[in-house]
Amino acid sequence: VPTNLTAVNAPAATPVRTGRWRAAAAGLLLGVLASRAAAVELTMWVMPVTTNAQHDVPALIAPWLAQHPGVTVRVTVLDWESGWNKITAAAASRRGPDVLELGTTWMPAIAAMGGLERLSAAQLAEVGNGAPYYAQLWKTTQVFGRPGVYGLPWYADVRAAFYRTDVFRQAGVDPKQAFADWDSFRAALRKINGTMVAGKRVAALAYAGKNDWNVVHTLAPWIWNAGGDVLSADAKHSALDTPQALRAIAFYSSLAVDGLVPANALEKDSDILEGAWVGGDYGVIFSGPWLMRRIFEAPPGVVRANFDVAPYPAGPHGHETFFGGSNLAIFKGSRHKAEAWDLVKYLGGKASQIQLSLLSSMMPARVDAANDPAWTTRHPVYAKLTAIAADGRAYPPIPAWGPLETVYTKHLGQLAELSSGIGDRYTAPAMRALIADTVVEADKVLEEAN
Amino acid sequence: LTAVSEPGLGALAVPARRDGARRRRRFDAFPYLLLAPAALMMVVVNLVPIVQGIRMSMLKLNQYTLSQFMDAPFVGLRNYRGVLFDASNPVHAGMLGALRNTALYSLLVTLCAVAIGLGVALLLNRDFPGKAAARTLLMLPWVVPTYVVGTLWGFMWQRDEGIVNHVLVDVLHLMDHKPFWLIGGNTFFAIVIPTVWRAWPVLMLIFLAALQAVPEELYEAARLDGANAWQRFVNITLPALKPVIVIQVMFQIIDNIYSYNIVAMMFGKGAGYPGEWGDLLMPLLTRQSFSYWRFGEGAAVSFVMMAVMLVVVGLWMRTFRRSMTDEA
Repeated sequence: VPTNLTAVNAPAATPVRTGRWRAAAAGLLLGVLASRAAAVELTMWVMPVTTNAQHDVPALIAPWLAQHPGVTVRVTVLDWESGWNKITAAAASRRGPDVLELGTTWMPAIAAMGGLERLSAAQLAEVGNGAPYYAQLWKTTQVFGRPGVYGLPWYADVRAAFYRTDVFRQAGVDPKQAFADWDSFRAALRKINGTMVAGKRVAALAYAGKNDWNVVHTLAPWIWNAGGDVLSADAKHSALDTPQALRAIAFYSSLAVDGLVPANALEKDSDILEGAWVGGDYGVIFSGPWLMRRIFEAPPGVVRANFDVAPYPAGPHGHETFFGGSNLAIFKGSRHKAEAWDLVKYLGGKASQIQLSLLSSMMPARVDAANDPAWTTRHPVYAKLTAIAADGRAYPPIPAWGPLETVYTKHLGQLAELSSGIGDRYTAPAMRALIADTVVEADKVLEEAN
Repeated sequence: LTAVSEPGLGALAVPARRDGARRRRRFDAFPYLLLAPAALMMVVVNLVPIVQGIRMSMLKLNQYTLSQFMDAPFVGLRNYRGVLFDASNPVHAGMLGALRNTALYSLLVTLCAVAIGLGVALLLNRDFPGKAAARTLLMLPWVVPTYVVGTLWGFMWQRDEGIVNHVLVDVLHLMDHKPFWLIGGNTFFAIVIPTVWRAWPVLMLIFLAALQAVPEELYEAARLDGANAWQRFVNITLPALKPVIVIQVMFQIIDNIYSYNIVAMMFGKGAGYPGEWGDLLMPLLTRQSFSYWRFGEGAAVSFVMMAVMLVVVGLWMRTFRRSMTDEA
């Protein structure tokens, strides 16, 4: 307690006792004020990136906190279903966290709403102007057709074909040949369809139908590999009705029409199908790195010892794959932007991204982290996923992607139903009519943005 | 209480005293004071959102103008015209199909739930061992929240793994093959049956309570007059239950037209579109206005639905007004 305060304020009658009380109170007040001035509490919203994100994310940022003694971080884990509503409400009201995780397709919408802090030239220079990150992911931190970067890629979702090596072996199919192109892929599926392994009949391929969030992400690579796209080059129109896209959609649907995707898969969602693949029901499933976690968290079975990954079968124009994931951004309404940026920069760093990937099985968004032995030597499949990511492709980062994806999912889900053979019969004109309806509705949604 | 001259407050006031010269008019604020908190809550909870909703329905409120919220561009009745008459409007797409499904769904669910509820109430309205336990057990479906009902039945309807087909085909041998319930036309039944399953128990309970209020003497007299069971049901039970049935049918229609949860949980993991035969108005409204970020048009559809519902309820009440007042 500063003694000079006591001397100044002490009345004559009770100089010592009253003076001490006053000094103590003044000191306490100053202490509280000083501590409040120094203490910064950052709030952070994340998605369930690991099975226990509430524990893992604080553990991930613990080294950063150790270097920033005056800062605390309050982590809130949202879920993918309700997270969108919470984030859009925050963006609209300008009241939200300091740092938030956003799915790569969500980011342009929230940025366009004015909800995110645009990174300055100096900040961009600190992260090498995005050079360490996969270029396709770096693209998702921006808004199509506008200048500005609004965050850093945090982790990646890259899609590949997960297949059963034992099923392929038993059916006498060479995986390398099977995933070479579309024709060889169809031929391979025909061969493995119905193979009996350990007393279980294995269906060739699993993909989900109308009750699934992955419909567009699973189909898009086929369209790209046929030389088509999901949007026109200026991102103002749907491109699903181009001959290339229609060719891809016809091929993709034919796998179900031919019975290579069983109809009962089309009534399920990706989550159930991935569980069924891990349980040995299917030979091939297109999925992402999170499936690795699922494989190794499941009770040891025949699949764990007999699986591998391959890139999407090459179409007439290559073998690109869907590239997505999550980015980190600073909320526009943050009152601690400097600290928030420091945290985002830390989490966008190599060491942190490797650590997150080891916790989550999601691929690092940095090229150097994705090629680091800590990731690639963890299991041969991780190295293969890194190789496949070289052909990763993200959607154009348009603000209207959210509504557009709902339109696409609604109609393409119906396409899956059509190809199931239940109800209306699948025909090429019926498929084209459905796609025509999709394009009309999609263009109307895009019109709003133009 | 002192006399007040305002009409309609008779219940709160002693009749005005005439002294021959003039009526004394004295305002008593106390009743209003008692009503004020409730009235204030009604204004805050109901009136403010309704007025705000009406205003929203006349704004171009979408993802690009959301940050302006109530200051978004005013478009008058354009949203109403778009959602009702513009075939190319995304909110309008599929609306006729959803309207057809909703009408059929409401009719079927209401009929089945009332019929089953009434039938079981009649069975329970007699003494037998374990009656209380049976009544409690039969209420269990109603205790399950609609969200859980949708999720559970989503699994139960699965073609190969679901318990419904297992019971129908493997246990009861009622079919020679396992049908799909979640794909194709059967989707309609996949949403109707769980709704009925959850709805009838509460109706049963309400009908049972009403049945127990019917004087037993009426049945005894009818028996003495030689009336059989059917005649007793038609001439005594049904007329006695009519006020309750009329009100419950109205509630069922309202609930079913606004039905959302079961469809959303059963088919909500993608775009929330169950297909041609499973789409109802509320899921359509949610998907094609709010998921498409067309909030102004969504508000417009909501008010159209509210207006239609007011007409339906108004007509219903007008038709059965006497039956409903008989209850009192």
